[in-house]
Amino acid sequence: MSLSNLIQNWQMFRTRRPYEDQYKDAPYKWAMVIDLDTCIGCNACTVACYAENNLAVVGKERFGKGQAMHWIRIERYWGEGEEMKTDFPERGAQYLPMLCQQCEAAPCEPVCPVGATHHSADGLNTQVYNRCVGSRYCSANCPYKVRYFNWWNYPERAWPNPLELQLNPDVTVRSKGVMEKCTFCMQRLRAGMDKAKTDGRILADGEVLTACAQACPTSAITFGNLADKKSKVARMWKKQQVDLAKNVQDKTEEGIRGYRVLEELNTYPSIVYLERLRNFAA
Amino acid sequence: MIKHTMDRRDFLRVLGISGAAATLAGCGNTAIESGVEEVMSYVHPQDFVVPGIGVFYASTCTQCGSGCGIMGKVREGRVLKLEGNPESGISGGKICGLGQAAVQAHYNPDRLHTPMLNMDGGLVPISWDRASQILDERLGAKSSLQGDQIAFLSGGMSGHQRVLLENFLDSYGSKQHVCYDALSDATGRAATKAVLGTEQPLWDLSKSRLILSFGSDFLGNGVSPVYMAREFAKFRKAPRGTLIQIEPRMTLTGGNADRWYPIKPGTEGILALGIAHDLLQHPEFSGSVPQEVLDLVKNYDRETVSDITGIGADSVRLIAAQLWNNSPSLVVAGPAVYGHAYGFSNMAAVQLLNIILGNRGKTLQGQAEHPFPQMTPTPGTYRALAELTQKMQSGQCQALLITGTNPVFTSPSQLAFSEAMKKVPFKVAMVTHLDETAGQCDLVLPLLSAMEDFGTHVADYQPEGVEVLIQQPLMEKLYPDTRGFGDILLDVLRKRKADYAAFPDYYSYLKAAVVKAKPVFQSEESDDRFWETALMKGVIKWQGKTTALEAKLGALEVPNPRELSTDYPFYFIPSIRPDMRDGRHAHLPWLQESPETMTTIVWDSWVEIHPKTAAEMQIKEGDVLVLQSATGSIQAKAYLFPGIQPDTVSMPLGQGHTQMGRYATGVGANPYKIMDAVFDAHTGELALHATRVAIRKTGDNQMVVKDEGPTNVQHGQKLVATLSADQARLSQEI
Repeated sequence: MSLSNLIQNWQMFRTRRPYEDQYKDAPYKWAMVIDLDTCIGCNACTVACYAENNLAVVGKERFGKGQAMHWIRIERYWGEGEEMKTDFPERGAQYLPMLCQQCEAAPCEPVCPVGATHHSADGLNTQVYNRCVGSRYCSANCPYKVRYFNWWNYPERAWPNPLELQLNPDVTVRSKGVMEKCTFCMQRLRAGMDKAKTDGRILADGEVLTACAQACPTSAITFGNLADKKSKVARMWKKQQVDLAKNVQDKTEEGIRGYRVLEELNTYPSIVYLERLRNFAA
Repeated sequence: MIKHTMDRRDFLRVLGISGAAATLAGCGNTAIESGVEEVMSYVHPQDFVVPGIGVFYASTCTQCGSGCGIMGKVREGRVLKLEGNPESGISGGKICGLGQAAVQAHYNPDRLHTPMLNMDGGLVPISWDRASQILDERLGAKSSLQGDQIAFLSGGMSGHQRVLLENFLDSYGSKQHVCYDALSDATGRAATKAVLGTEQPLWDLSKSRLILSFGSDFLGNGVSPVYMAREFAKFRKAPRGTLIQIEPRMTLTGGNADRWYPIKPGTEGILALGIAHDLLQHPEFSGSVPQEVLDLVKNYDRETVSDITGIGADSVRLIAAQLWNNSPSLVVAGPAVYGHAYGFSNMAAVQLLNIILGNRGKTLQGQAEHPFPQMTPTPGTYRALAELTQKMQSGQCQALLITGTNPVFTSPSQLAFSEAMKKVPFKVAMVTHLDETAGQCDLVLPLLSAMEDFGTHVADYQPEGVEVLIQQPLMEKLYPDTRGFGDILLDVLRKRKADYAAFPDYYSYLKAAVVKAKPVFQSEESDDRFWETALMKGVIKWQGKTTALEAKLGALEVPNPRELSTDYPFYFIPSIRPDMRDGRHAHLPWLQESPETMTTIVWDSWVEIHPKTAAEMQIKEGDVLVLQSATGSIQAKAYLFPGIQPDTVSMPLGQGHTQMGRYATGVGANPYKIMDAVFDAHTGELALHATRVAIRKTGDNQMVVKDEGPTNVQHGQKLVATLSADQARLSQEI
């Protein structure tokens, strides 16, 4: 793939998506809201993800080389701005649950030389494992650093018998040389959507949850169908005046706190974060 | 089918029904049938079991004592994943990371799956026939053990396992059920009882306008973290409450504070008295405050308090003013407060604030009285272990049974528990993993995992009335030679007491006991239906009434913090990880690889030190330090951590195992072993926060393996944005 091809692909892609009302007639567009004021940083979501999605435990040495496979992680920051301005974190820590933002204009997608990274009809940024050749361009291009590469053949070593009995049969166990990432628990969505289709309906709000949202003790994660205007997640996006297809949000209301992380990179993420609150009079 | 008759009083005792329950359970049965029920296996699948489709079964999480209701997803005969059970008033359908990892304890590759016998200094596998024979010889009908010669050492234990265990001891005339918890909150509980009249009051977080927490990590590892997190989420909704956290080392909860203050370790009680001093200046109190309280606080004006605690005089004023202006408030405290020689008085001083602020009856209630007092959890204490160790030393203890606790790993070295064990001729451990304590026993019996066994549990903290929590197998046992805890006890008990002949296994015992308790729950279902509903829902609920709290001032006294010495110029604070706890979960790879939230470090132990202190001592991240206490020394890498008081260093508990399988061993170091022998003056509990250390550099530097990148600030990017709470419009949000 030449550089000119790459740029041309990128431009085609950029003009195609997203656009206004893209999901107007679609049955599903999966999206999330994460309330950073109720997220307490407890790691229930991250462990739930290991359990649901057959994430390999890599061990200390490989973790140290940046080879951890956690599809969702809690980032912890001290203060805002360029540096910590006080000796102590007087306003607590800043926790940020970071997972694939399922970008509508995902920087990872156009760089894949084999089309393993693609966009699904319900708005997910998916990874087709058996197409992936391990170029890792996608990971290099991801500004959120939420793509994870199988540097080793984990099926051979990560689940010594009988740990492998815990593996979720609905989720592929990835082998060496393949990129992987958060799927918004696609196996749950797939099963739910199939069932709903059999019943001749679309999924009800809250009928299917991602493992992280289901576990979250404070219910800080809201997951749902943005194409369904009545869903909680769609109403929250609207209330927070975040438009999926805009990169600069038109915020007229005061005191709303929805934003998308690194939105200025024109990635059009599908996850809205709600600003953390602090009582500065305390 | 076995039929057996016994008198009613015996029957109730056997099944753990007494007190209020015994009077309510007046149906007059004198005999029951049992042993006719069977758990259906997948060889004979139920209609709803379809290959490829997961089915959920309700059970109860046993990873900690919170008693969260869980649901296990079972497919093709395997339990795959745990979720919260929405029927549970405690978990409300939610689950924490520690709970999720229970499946890894079950499928752990280092599970013990055969009995082991110590022969010539080493443990060798033996058959169950041989193990049963040994048990029979030593503990069976012909056993000469009498009274307190036999002791049972356990962790916190509740439900019918506790009933059966105590009945087992009773068959020898022994009262030696020794409960040990390496993270015991006994001092805090005793002080709370002395002031408020109850050990563990219920907190109403959602109703509180302001929570002042002295080192209580209620969101991470308090008495019921999942429930507290759920309530905390309500507290954060409109009208949003404020959390002020004061502690020497920032806990997970501290990270969520609106205002966080680092305090000199152990001076929390003095600060509480200072805040009380300020509050009592309000004219509303004039003339109505008992003299003993006035005497207590009179010396603690803002400046004095500021000198002692390191919290500015203005801050003391501000905290007091906010408590006054945001009613109802809630004042809570954790191990940082009671883990001192004067921990009791520290805790009592904190509870005094709740009385002054009028929080009793508003955000603090007494728990409902439990209809089955014999099933309530036994709180583990250090003191109990110390007394047992003495008996072991003196040769009084002839047989020791151990389950659910690992004192060889968690007891401080000066107790010399390990040496005392050698004086006991017969030691039996019942474990799922060969831990350090089991490794020193004569006979080790492999238990079923929590996913394979039956049980009932009662939570220490019961937010909504009273719940009896049902634990049921989520799958067939993995290893044929593992056995249930109740089954092992019953096997011995049947030989000693005819009362138990009616129960061929623990399942039949448990079912009989639960069904027998039916009248208390005012159920009109048939016995079988009642039992099935209990299994289906995983919980039986009883609407208890909350009780009133007292206000007793007699126990109050001035705490007496100890200054640092030149020999040991740093306070040493062990931190409790929400996932590792006292180290009992170090063998679970998901938890080892789960970054500790405050530092993001994995698979290790580390020493947290404030960046300023580190700069003064020219310590960089990864420098290997030796921490020397009066008792011993320990090595770990430095991690520069801004959320710590500058005269303090902190290390997480739970690592440093020498046994317990491949994931636990060879990871980090064990801080329990350098704990100084300091005890609370009132309760005799080990003071976990009272150790002082000196720091020495080894000159070695190693990489700290962590999730955070080379920077831990946001570099001006909008990653985690913060809005002033008064600008948000939470009430209009969806």
